[in-house]
Amino acid sequence: MAVFDTPEEAFGALRPVCVQLTKTQTVENVAHLQTRLQAVSDTALQELQQYILFPLRFTLKTPGPKRERLIQSVVECLTFVLSSTCVKEQELLQELFSELSACLYSPNSQKPAAVSEELKLAVIQGLSTLMHSAYGDIILTFYEPSILPRLGFAVSLLLGLAEQEKSKQIKIAALKCLQVLLFQCDCQDHPRSLDELEQQQLGDLFASFLPGVSTTLTRVITGDFKQGHSIVVSSLKIFYKTVSFIMADEQLKRISKVQEKPAVEHRVAELMVHREADWVKNTGDKLTILIKKIIECVSVHPHWKVRLELVGLVEDLLLRCSQSLVESAGPLLKALVGLVNDESPEVQAQCSKVLRHFADQQVVVGNKAFADILSESLHSLATSLPRLMNSEDDQGKFSTLSLLLGYLKLLGPKVNFVLNSVAHLHRLSKALIQVLELDVADIKIVEERRWNSDGLNASPKTSAAQPWNQMQRRYFRFFTDERIFLLLRQVCQLLGYYGNLYLLVDHFMELYHESVVYRKQAAMILNELVAGAAGLEMEDLHEKHIKTSPEELRDIVTSILEEYTSQENWYLVTCMEAEEVEEELMMKESGLQAITSGAHTHQVTSFLAFSKPSPTICSMNSNIWQICIQLEGIGQFAYALGEDFRLLLMSALYPVLEKAGDQTLLISQVATSTMVDICHACGYGSLQHLINQNSDYLVNGISLNLRHLALHPHTPKVLEVMLRNSDASLLPLVADVVQDVLATLDQFYDKRAASFVSVLHALLAALAQWFPDTGDLGQLQEQNVGEDGSHLHQRPVTLENSTTAEDIEQFLLNYLKEKDVADGNVSDFDNEEEEQSVPPEVDESDTHPDVEPPLPVQIQIATDVMERCIHLLSDKNLQIRLKVLDVLDLCVVVLQSHKNQLLPLAHRAWPSLVHRLTRDAPLAVLRAFKVLRTLGGRCGDFLRSRFCKDVLPKLAGSLVTQAPISARAGPVYSHTLAFKLQLAVLQGLGPLCERLDLGEGDLNKVADACLIYLSAKQPVKLQEAARSVFLHLMKVDPDSTWLLLSELYCPVQFTPPHPSLRPVRLRKASEQQNPYLANVLLLLRELQ
Amino acid sequence: MGGCHHSRVVPQSPGDCALPSMAAHLPPPPDPQFVLRGAQSPVHALHFHRGAQGCPLLFSGSQGGLVHIWSLQTRRAVAALDGHGGRCVTWLQTLPRGHQLLSQGRDLKLCLWDLAEGRNAVVDSVRLESVGFCRSAVLAGGQPRWTLAVPGKGSDEVQILEMPSKTSVCTLKPEADAKPGMPMCLGLWQANSSPRPLLLAGYEDGSVVLWDVLERKMCSRVACHEEPVMGLDFDPQKARGVSGSAGKALAVWSLDGRQALQVRGTHELTNPGVAEVTIRPDRKILATAGWDHRIRVFQWRTMKPLAVLALHSAAVQCVAFATSGLLAAGSKDQRISIWSLYPPP
Repeated sequence: MAVFDTPEEAFGALRPVCVQLTKTQTVENVAHLQTRLQAVSDTALQELQQYILFPLRFTLKTPGPKRERLIQSVVECLTFVLSSTCVKEQELLQELFSELSACLYSPNSQKPAAVSEELKLAVIQGLSTLMHSAYGDIILTFYEPSILPRLGFAVSLLLGLAEQEKSKQIKIAALKCLQVLLFQCDCQDHPRSLDELEQQQLGDLFASFLPGVSTTLTRVITGDFKQGHSIVVSSLKIFYKTVSFIMADEQLKRISKVQEKPAVEHRVAELMVHREADWVKNTGDKLTILIKKIIECVSVHPHWKVRLELVGLVEDLLLRCSQSLVESAGPLLKALVGLVNDESPEVQAQCSKVLRHFADQQVVVGNKAFADILSESLHSLATSLPRLMNSEDDQGKFSTLSLLLGYLKLLGPKVNFVLNSVAHLHRLSKALIQVLELDVADIKIVEERRWNSDGLNASPKTSAAQPWNQMQRRYFRFFTDERIFLLLRQVCQLLGYYGNLYLLVDHFMELYHESVVYRKQAAMILNELVAGAAGLEMEDLHEKHIKTSPEELRDIVTSILEEYTSQENWYLVTCMEAEEVEEELMMKESGLQAITSGAHTHQVTSFLAFSKPSPTICSMNSNIWQICIQLEGIGQFAYALGEDFRLLLMSALYPVLEKAGDQTLLISQVATSTMVDICHACGYGSLQHLINQNSDYLVNGISLNLRHLALHPHTPKVLEVMLRNSDASLLPLVADVVQDVLATLDQFYDKRAASFVSVLHALLAALAQWFPDTGDLGQLQEQNVGEDGSHLHQRPVTLENSTTAEDIEQFLLNYLKEKDVADGNVSDFDNEEEEQSVPPEVDESDTHPDVEPPLPVQIQIATDVMERCIHLLSDKNLQIRLKVLDVLDLCVVVLQSHKNQLLPLAHRAWPSLVHRLTRDAPLAVLRAFKVLRTLGGRCGDFLRSRFCKDVLPKLAGSLVTQAPISARAGPVYSHTLAFKLQLAVLQGLGPLCERLDLGEGDLNKVADACLIYLSAKQPVKLQEAARSVFLHLMKVDPDSTWLLLSELYCPVQFTPPHPSLRPVRLRKASEQQNPYLANVLLLLRELQ
Repeated sequence: MGGCHHSRVVPQSPGDCALPSMAAHLPPPPDPQFVLRGAQSPVHALHFHRGAQGCPLLFSGSQGGLVHIWSLQTRRAVAALDGHGGRCVTWLQTLPRGHQLLSQGRDLKLCLWDLAEGRNAVVDSVRLESVGFCRSAVLAGGQPRWTLAVPGKGSDEVQILEMPSKTSVCTLKPEADAKPGMPMCLGLWQANSSPRPLLLAGYEDGSVVLWDVLERKMCSRVACHEEPVMGLDFDPQKARGVSGSAGKALAVWSLDGRQALQVRGTHELTNPGVAEVTIRPDRKILATAGWDHRIRVFQWRTMKPLAVLALHSAAVQCVAFATSGLLAAGSKDQRISIWSLYPPP
């Protein structure tokens, strides 16, 4: 709230101090005046403006040495007045301007006076305030030609301050003031925009300052990074605003050829600049040098705000001075493009915005000159790219590639100008190939094997936002920064998106063929080209660009796929296992024959060089990567084509599945994720769906390839993977192809049995899983009892019941009756009863006794397979025999409910099985015994006599002879095969005896052989297993088992129930010495 | 014949022409492009058709009475037509006008199917009088009226019908003393020079007969085989035809200007029995369907054997060519194999 509202009051109050100041010019008096002024209202102050200014200006103008403090306070007071009032007269404005400027000018030299920093600051602010206080149009009239010398003086003064002062504050203030003087102030006080004429007049005027302003500011901008970013930012801003104003194409095109005679005195006229063509050309050239300097320095400025301002500079200059500064367009675009991938998100965002703006305005594409410049830049970048990729460090590569990416983005479809030049395409591709070279020294990749052959346990995950961008981590020879790889992929994708896809694919395909050294990189590039061409999440700056059509893309993908999965590119040596290598080499040789007749002889030589007798780790590793990259490519192709890819599944799915079954872990993993990719891309819910719904394609491939097994040794694997990942709905097709498999096996079973047996195993495992037999449950439970000692307590309760007199009587009667039957005294009555009861059942169950119903397909398959197993059981290769035993086991499981098929086959298999059980390697014995147990569970009667005659004596014998060895052995023994064999036999014997319902004599044989293992001297596990044998024996014949055990050790003394009976005498050794004590006690407890 | 030498197909079967000692140096026998599974019954008839939107189709007729429509693009059955009450389909043919398919079945019915715009309905049918093995023949141009030859009521007769009105034009019956037996296969064609339809018929006694349909006259008869003629095909441009029989020979015969048939030569096969003989539309090669499970391919001009395709595990019952050159063979093993051999330029 001002104290003096009216001019009169104010005048009264101010007059004394003004007079005082005029008389005596001291700091104190100025201070007095300023104090009084505080209390004067703005309106009153405006009225009294001239009056108050007088003493102040008087003080400044008074000749003679003045003290700096006084001048400073006067200037500050003046500034105060001006900040609250308007200057309404042009003359006053000009005079004040001169007077203020003069404060910093020492009359003796051209340089700014050596005055205090405070004074400098005060003057600068004074000037700023003065320019802001100019009222309305006054400001425009200020900028008349006659002011040129004075204005120039002030401008150079400010530039000097901005460049040379130490104080950051002064520098900033000087720059701000310069901004105001050059009509660039962005504060709210200048709302009016200039019309064309005004702009032109100002431009003419300012053009005189351009050399000074631009060079000085360039020096400031390119000065020390330490000077602070705000100074550089302001300088940049003034630089480009000034340049873009003076050099604006809009203004320049209206400039007449002949300079009008300006109505000013000669001295001033000399200073005036006429912006005609020559001048523009010369100035443009000079500015280009400065701009280059600035860009070079600023684009690597550590502060992001500075780089952000550079984006502003590029935008402003390119938009407004595209003609006048055409020479600078190259560097300017390069600067912009280089910032596209700036580390600061703000800069990136602004950059993209500007690029998009350019694209919208057709600044580049619509402007031939710019497009030419960009193409030229890209040309030269392409030329130097190989060298740069070779010599630069990661950071350097990053910025170079960012630049490349930016050019591509900006050029859009016009990139083809460059690509159409063979030399440049060659350069570009050479650089890409070179930098993408993989480091294949990692041995682990070759070593890691896929051991478990379970199903592909990859459930399709839908979480990933851009699944096509996920891939296996890889290591490059020439860089480590992951961002560089990302950039390279973006570059390739952009090429694919904008470039001529046919041309590019052709070119890189050629490189792919040319040498093994290029092949992986070329494949990576091809993958990205296709992904790019599909435009997955591609940010398109050029909306009118016509993309590759889906049909074209499909054709291209088809041809790449064909190449990837061709014999010589898909079946590479990846491991050293004897069988595999042998197979690969065989395949190579025969592959050669097929190819020599073809056109691509150079391919042959290239891979011949690669398939030397002993492949090195590196080459195998390289091959693994090659396959993985191609697999990933197939996944990317699937995404690129979407549902269209379904049509390609007929050729693509088979090879992928083949690799999913590969032994090398990495390949198998990548192939599995490729299948997941295909699921996503083609809209299949799961891998199982994918396989089921395309099983016809797979079966077609399998069956055709089986015809040339030597050429396609991995065919059985495909069937295996297919079976593992599918369900019973596949059966009809499987049945179809199984006939082919068996026919081929019959043809080759001496050479390739191993791979076939594993297919048969997968097949039977699948059948067993698809058609579970309900009778299987019993078997499972029985196994549990046999193998797990802890189940001993869950024994049936029947044995624990106390026996009543009736039970005994019934038992006796039954015994007598059975004895009679056994002796052949069968009563007629019983016989008739049986005969009567049987026929009706037959009538009901079988209406056509002569016609057998067709067998279910799975039974037919299992029968056919079991047939082959019989032959293969005696193969000379142990591994095959083991596998065959497993298959045989599964056959029995599948066939269990079809005894008519099972028994004859079992009969035929028996001699060979016995051979395995009795005379083969321990491992085979172990497996054979497993088969025996399964067989025993399914067809007891059939097996009983055979078992007792052919196998039991041998088993019992080996148990007996092995017992002393295991009793003496140390803890290591449990790792030996002998131990495992003993354990398996002991674990298996119990259930077998029970299932086979052995007679007494044979049971005794079993019991005798196992008794020794109840000794505490035996390993604990064998004791447990032996106990399980007796638990089973108890079920079959509790009494004799009791007796047998009690013979070993009897804890109680039996007193006869009647004196007429003789006392029972059972052995009773002393408790300390009897080694059987613990186990017998355990078992007897079960019997009570 | 330039296209023929380009492919890698070479005779392969030991019985035919490759020397066993050379076998090791030969490339592997050619593979089919693919095999169609799912007919679920022996395949007796095949016919290619350029479907709507240029999507090529293959029709197959099965013993189980179904006609399957296969898309050659997806290699899958797109539809199954059930019109013959579970009885064997022996012959399939499409008409040039509209999307219409003719199917002949052992249920003594010849069905006309409308397949346009995804329809598959029987729009008309012809009652057949003969239970024989003879496949029908058709002569259809762009006109709405077309001619159909079917085995007639009498065991040795061929009946000619005007379609779609089903009016009987005539019945071709051999003279009483000729006794050629039943007609086994038919071929209708029209020489460019004259509008008179001509019929070629192979008979049970091994002879091939040329009939002038309008005059109901047997123009010429030639004894080509000792066994019944199972299939024949005719090349009007060269005025030559080929026939296969239940025996071991293929016969090539020609027709002179006075419409007289003349045997040009015979070609001995390893195993007897040819179910069908078909010349490719470009008349470069021909294929036979062998009871010995083999498909044999010959150069038509020279009758030089080019390939023996061993894939099927049972008798091949029919062979068909597409205008694109694709070869299809249907077999008793329920599979249809598709081959691309000596692709035309």
